[in-house]
Amino acid sequence: MSAAIHNHGSSLKPAYPRAIVLSLASDFGCQLQLSNIADLLDVLGTIKLEYWQLMSSAVLPADYDIAIIEGAVTTQDHIELLQQVRTVAQTIIAIGSCAITGGVPALAAQDLGKHVQAVYSDDADRVAAGRVRPAPISNYVAVDYLVAGCPIDPREFVTVLQGALLGVRQRQQREPLCAQCKTMEAPCFYSIRAAQDIADGMATPQALCLGLVTRTGCGALCITRGRPCTGCRGIAADANLSSARTFIANEGLDVDDFDDALRIYSSHALDDGGEEQ
Amino acid sequence: MTAAHTAKAYRKLGANPYRPWPARITSITQLTATEKLFELRLIDEHVREEFSFTAGQFVELSIFGIGEAPISISSAPSKQGFIELCIRQTGTVTNAIHRMRCGDVVGIRGPFGRGFPFEEMENHDVLLVAGGLGIAPLKSLINHVHDERHAFGKVTILLGARNPAELLFRQEFDMWKHRQDFDLMMTVDQPDDSWDGEVGLVTRLFDRVDIDPDNTYGAICGPPVMYPFVVEEMRKKHLDVDRIYVSVERRMKCGIGMCGHCAVGHQYTCIEGPVFSYWEAINLREAI
Amino acid sequence: MIYKIIEKWALEDLFEGLRANYDEVVGPQPSKGHGGPALVFDKLTNFNDLRLDYDTTILPPKKYFLNPDERILRFNRSTGDVFDTEPVQISRAIFGMHPCDINALLLLDQIFLGDYVDPYYQAARKSTFIIGTSCMPSPGHICNAFGSDEVHRGFDLFLTDLGDRYFLSCATVPAAELVDKYLDAREPVAADISDFQARTRQFKAAFKYLPQMDQLPLLYGAKYEDEDLWNQIGDDCLSCGACSMVCPVCHCFDVRDKLDANGETGLRHRVWDSCNFSEFAEVAHDYNFRPTHTSRVRYRFFHKFVGNFTRNGKMLCVGCSRCNRACKVGITPARVIRALQEDANANVGAETPDSADTVSAKKDCA
Repeated sequence: MSAAIHNHGSSLKPAYPRAIVLSLASDFGCQLQLSNIADLLDVLGTIKLEYWQLMSSAVLPADYDIAIIEGAVTTQDHIELLQQVRTVAQTIIAIGSCAITGGVPALAAQDLGKHVQAVYSDDADRVAAGRVRPAPISNYVAVDYLVAGCPIDPREFVTVLQGALLGVRQRQQREPLCAQCKTMEAPCFYSIRAAQDIADGMATPQALCLGLVTRTGCGALCITRGRPCTGCRGIAADANLSSARTFIANEGLDVDDFDDALRIYSSHALDDGGEEQ
Repeated sequence: MTAAHTAKAYRKLGANPYRPWPARITSITQLTATEKLFELRLIDEHVREEFSFTAGQFVELSIFGIGEAPISISSAPSKQGFIELCIRQTGTVTNAIHRMRCGDVVGIRGPFGRGFPFEEMENHDVLLVAGGLGIAPLKSLINHVHDERHAFGKVTILLGARNPAELLFRQEFDMWKHRQDFDLMMTVDQPDDSWDGEVGLVTRLFDRVDIDPDNTYGAICGPPVMYPFVVEEMRKKHLDVDRIYVSVERRMKCGIGMCGHCAVGHQYTCIEGPVFSYWEAINLREAI
Repeated sequence: MIYKIIEKWALEDLFEGLRANYDEVVGPQPSKGHGGPALVFDKLTNFNDLRLDYDTTILPPKKYFLNPDERILRFNRSTGDVFDTEPVQISRAIFGMHPCDINALLLLDQIFLGDYVDPYYQAARKSTFIIGTSCMPSPGHICNAFGSDEVHRGFDLFLTDLGDRYFLSCATVPAAELVDKYLDAREPVAADISDFQARTRQFKAAFKYLPQMDQLPLLYGAKYEDEDLWNQIGDDCLSCGACSMVCPVCHCFDVRDKLDANGETGLRHRVWDSCNFSEFAEVAHDYNFRPTHTSRVRYRFFHKFVGNFTRNGKMLCVGCSRCNRACKVGITPARVIRALQEDANANVGAETPDSADTVSAKKDCA
């Protein structure tokens, strides 16, 4: 994607790039975040929203410029829909961890048959027909822009959308979160380890903070509010997992716990040989 | 002209060195499929008067909302009131200016860095070698030598490109081939039907180069991989490494020695460079 | 320089004096954050929050001179109009800067107030009143190796703790006026000078470890291509850049444009950057001069110990130990220096910092 998205329609009045918002397997949380954009009206002044699954019952139009997609791919229908969208849309923006890393839906990828069996028992083939191993959408179609997070940050979405409208290749920060966390001057969770403090009830021995290896960009939102990073933005491109695991072990924490925590959002990358964007 | 000159000019104008001067695109020439030559005019008259540069210096080009990129100046320092930038469509900023039209406004900061040591080179022979987009910074020096032809001895210019379609300024240089006061040779790796000249790497042309090593300065611009080979050829002609100048590529973000992005070894490409003598360059870690 | 003595209890008067004269008084105090215990420089509203006997803070006071996210200009995409953003004109007093941090500021002055002047840095420098304070070395502090355990300029007022009183050094007119107006200060007598000397001796003796700095720049150059040495360090690197953020002299930045929601107007931002990020040395066509963890770590310390030393005569490290705490995998200046000084061919028990020091430094890491 290099060219800016061209305007359509008659030359007499300005026309805006036409956008659709679609959802695959997800909890619609990211779509909900879109409706939380404070400057929504300003943003809508730059695009024409033709279809928004969450907000109206209109049918998917035949033609549009930008497809904003949330959710993981879990069915054959999803694959076909994506392939169809890719032939129409000039630009695909993937939003949220389900779409980008496979997210929580991808947790079911291991032993998928067993999970389906457990839920639908003998009816599985009828009710859950056409299922595929849950995967990020980039497994099936090229993605031009992405907005990470669970859920996404609406402000980040606006920035990415603007880049797409200008035809600017998205800048992908590859480093993990720690630098941003330091910039926010949040005390590190890995320093709550003095055994005496724990014994004295001064500190809790938890602190499996995944910021060490997680894609940056959230501004250390959780950590500054008192929660360790859960890795919702996926694994950073430059993450050094082996060194991070060594650190975890040296801290007296369990490396398997660390990997399990990472799996909540990055099981596809860790177990399915999936490639991070 | 050096970084200190520009610093002085900025102080004289009482200006914030991060603030670009608005400049209008006055002409656009499509050179190849991916390169265009942009002629720009600084809009503010005072700024235009203070703006002077030497061949090899660069400016920071701003496309607002997208960002900045360092671009070397291609026009001759003697060209008053306008600067020319030869820009390949490769990153976000360069793609953006490729979509702009005449009359559009961009931002310019600079000129930054140290150019070719033209005062030292004057009254000597010069051997100028460019490969690919390396012609962009070298073109300014070639133009300078052209405009001040009497101040230089023998002038030899060697140009190389992957194929004829990518040979920048080809039409202009085709005309120079017949001139007596320039010894100009061109070569391409992959010839096509339009090409009846030399075929091969630019180093091939050295067979036909005859220089007086005690009276010659060399200048090389091109992809980093080219430098050792061209320098080797120059060394075979007994040219000293401190008389060979190269232009180093880095992502200069601020242009004023603060942001750290363009550091090579212990120097900054945006202050002590981008033109270094080859001796300096091989003594800077990872310079080329 | 004017020297005075004040009793310890008079410190609150100094605080009130600062409050009366500056928009904001900041100083080291416990973080209100949720992770481990840590101190930060923050606005002081209550004198009792001030911790002058502090060890170190997460971020250095650098944040007051180089904003992590400085808005450097406002633009309009359509018209090409550009407007300077005014440097913030808040007057601020920083209470309790350690000598290392004041020395770090002097190093930043070389970079931001040179031939080119950074207007934002300059404005903050001019409107900031600095009160330095003496300290005692904690484990991991190696300011002694860089000569930054002492400071002789770069502050307005400096407080040396003599137990029951402070030895005051007033370096500027505003400092002298402040002392005059708000403090019941007296002239030092021989006993004060003698106590000052005793404290200095005690301070110098408190350093448990002095890195071997012999010929460091030349040695670095000679061992630059030693892949084993650098891979041992680089393989550990998380490439997270935390070290650069907390470093009082790391100053690299990136410049980014951010549009308003209308897509037309916007701001250009200058944001903290790190040479440990893989994007840092990338040029056109995604060519990267330092694509590996190892190449970036090697470069970062090269710039600190050799690059700036060759260029400006100073190493870009003041031994403050913040990176020791920020780095989760133990890549510290001391480790790099030790690795460089180690003689691969000799089996000498190289001098190392107390292992106990390393452990306790880790414990209270921030």
